[in-house]
Amino acid sequence: MTPSSFGIDLLAQVLDASALRHRVIAQNIANVNTPGYKRLEVAFEGELKQALALPGGGTGHVAPTVIPTDAPERVDGNTVDIDREMNEVAKNGLLYQAMSQILASRLGSLRSAISGR
Amino acid sequence: MPFRDLFTASAISGSGMSAERLRMEVIANNIANANSTRSANGGPYRRQDVVFAEVLGKATGPHNRPALLGVAAVERVEDPSELPIVHLPGHPDADANGNVRIPNVSLPTEMVNLLTAARAYEANLKAMQTFRQMNEQALTLLRS
Repeated sequence: MTPSSFGIDLLAQVLDASALRHRVIAQNIANVNTPGYKRLEVAFEGELKQALALPGGGTGHVAPTVIPTDAPERVDGNTVDIDREMNEVAKNGLLYQAMSQILASRLGSLRSAISGR
Repeated sequence: MPFRDLFTASAISGSGMSAERLRMEVIANNIANANSTRSANGGPYRRQDVVFAEVLGKATGPHNRPALLGVAAVERVEDPSELPIVHLPGHPDADANGNVRIPNVSLPTEMVNLLTAARAYEANLKAMQTFRQMNEQALTLLRS
């Protein structure tokens, strides 16, 4: 039984994607008043779902990608909606918290298996 | 995630906060000079505005995407719109007909811009707080 079968690799991938998403949202928020700025987004979950659905089920090659998105433009050509970004930042923070708690409990089980207690 | 990317999120939010702070300073300067009929370049004061631009780093990594580096205030420009004329014969800067050109600062516009800047500052601050919470959460993984 390899450590990755505990889902640790997968959890680390999701955490990495979530950290990248936080950077992207922070960039969107920082540019909320920049004329002509187009909001960015991270695409990850869709690809991950596809990779998990395959019979092999390997997810090592799945990497998050930053993509520009279509959103309603303001008069100055900016597409950032601050309320949407605040919602995203809260949601992403919760996801990160959940994933790292699951990872902590997995590591805890491994630790107790190693120590035999 | 490479180690050098660890704190870029807080640098991005920080760049947003300092840009919004600069905008607030310029707005405060506009309001303070709403009645200044003399300025450094001669003539009445003209309202100023900051220009923001997105900052991107070099494209690196497997996907060749540029690093996200936040925002920067690249320029401070003067508003070229026409200066209003008021009739004030007693004013030291009045012309022969008693007309004075006053700054093109409009208080409602400045107040709205000030509020926008303050809200954007708060949003950046919130993103930075969330980043801190996420990092604290990640650090608990090291505890047993």
